[in-house]
Amino acid sequence: MNYKKSYFKLTVLFVLFFAACSEAPEINNETMLDGDQIFDPSLYNPEDYLVSLSVENPTEIQKNTPVLITVHGYSASTFEWDEFREYSTINANILISQVLLGGHGRTYEAFKESTWKDWQNPILAEYNALRSKGYTNINFAGSSTACPLVLDLIKEGKIGENGMKNIFLIDPIVIPSDKLLTLVGLVGPMLGYFESTNTAVEDLYYYRFRPQETLNELLDLIDKVRKDLQKGYLLPTNTNMKVYKSIKDDTADAVSAVLIYKGLKNSDGTPINVEMLDSQLHVVTRLEGRENVTQKDREIQQQVFDDMLTILMQ
Amino acid sequence: MKKKHYLFLLFITSFMCIQSQNRKTQNDWLGEFKVGVRVQKTQKLYWENGLTVDFTSPKILKNRLHLGLSYVSSRFGSAMGSNAIKQDNFLINAGYFFRHQKKLQPFGRLNTGFFYADYESEIFDVLPNTALLLSLDAGFSYQFDAPITLQISTGYNLNTGTGSAGPGTLFPVFYQLSLYYTLFK
Repeated sequence: MNYKKSYFKLTVLFVLFFAACSEAPEINNETMLDGDQIFDPSLYNPEDYLVSLSVENPTEIQKNTPVLITVHGYSASTFEWDEFREYSTINANILISQVLLGGHGRTYEAFKESTWKDWQNPILAEYNALRSKGYTNINFAGSSTACPLVLDLIKEGKIGENGMKNIFLIDPIVIPSDKLLTLVGLVGPMLGYFESTNTAVEDLYYYRFRPQETLNELLDLIDKVRKDLQKGYLLPTNTNMKVYKSIKDDTADAVSAVLIYKGLKNSDGTPINVEMLDSQLHVVTRLEGRENVTQKDREIQQQVFDDMLTILMQ
Repeated sequence: MKKKHYLFLLFITSFMCIQSQNRKTQNDWLGEFKVGVRVQKTQKLYWENGLTVDFTSPKILKNRLHLGLSYVSSRFGSAMGSNAIKQDNFLINAGYFFRHQKKLQPFGRLNTGFFYADYESEIFDVLPNTALLLSLDAGFSYQFDAPITLQISTGYNLNTGTGSAGPGTLFPVFYQLSLYYTLFK
């Protein structure tokens, strides 16, 4: 009798477990990046986005012009840096490479199968391509997850001495704001994916559904970077860094900036430059597609853009 | 920060004085008084280690209710010789222990107290670095034949940092191991 009761309880548990396991998300192919109809435009015309492809044989002037590799965050696409590109086209003489992270800008399935190393590969590929073409003034600007990806490249020595002049980090994520992310390994397999609250415009450029596998990858990445920062390391010689961090951010906890400030120093051992922004937006440099954008948000965005361009043109 | 350490010491001293005074006036009031060390690991974050005391009384739920104080800090864990954030947890707790006359005792505990993180640079003065702690933990206690008790537990912080409020390095899940020496019984 007891055996039968135990068997019944076990069966109920299994049924509950599998019932809790979510099915595939309901993707609208016509309105969501997650589907099989909308892809990042850089996949169709990479030469419009990557300086290494757009200029076959750069002149000496072009080789010495600042090139900024801009990289978006987790679940985003090249769209995240469109506003900066438009602003800098009017206000400065720089070249911009808008890099699409691996596994991004494609389908939900492609995203699900990608690892954080896959996300990172196109950054290094564009950096190496620019170096091999003779560009001497290479710079980097990353938002959110792009930041731990480039921090890892620095730590692993893949960006060497005199390799990059300036690195700008916008709302780097080392510590997530949603602390339940630390439990994704436990609850993720039951849920399958997490749904974000995108606006209709954001649905075109950001994955709405986040596979638990990719959240585990994100967690692995930031865990590695946090441990590297804990041990401490230096920027390459002649590379400067500036971190811009919103003080209230529901994606990348502001304490991420503290960890970077403590763990990463200039090559001469002096502290890196950090500016705390009086903003409540994650990645204030991208405002298009958001709801309820204020004048203050626009002012902060312009202030950051101007600051970056001033540093780049020095 | 020194003030907080002095306050904590004062708190422990007062607690022990009250114990001894009570012992003089009411010998049957005191059950067990244990002091020990605690090792704590937060899921996906730091090791935080420190000291802990535990007290029971036959007059409070017949020794089943354990009252305690503890101080754990990354200063004695992950932040030793590294760039981890120095953070302190000052806690008082009340735990209910089952099978209290047996060697192996399952228990559940409610903890509250104060959290402080030292960001070290004035750039980060705009960020919250203190919080009221509120957590639950549950585990097992094992009383050895010698006056030694081992406790292991898993806990959950109810008041974690959210990005908009609260210190960012206050994470939800933690694991504890405490080793006590029974001072008197």
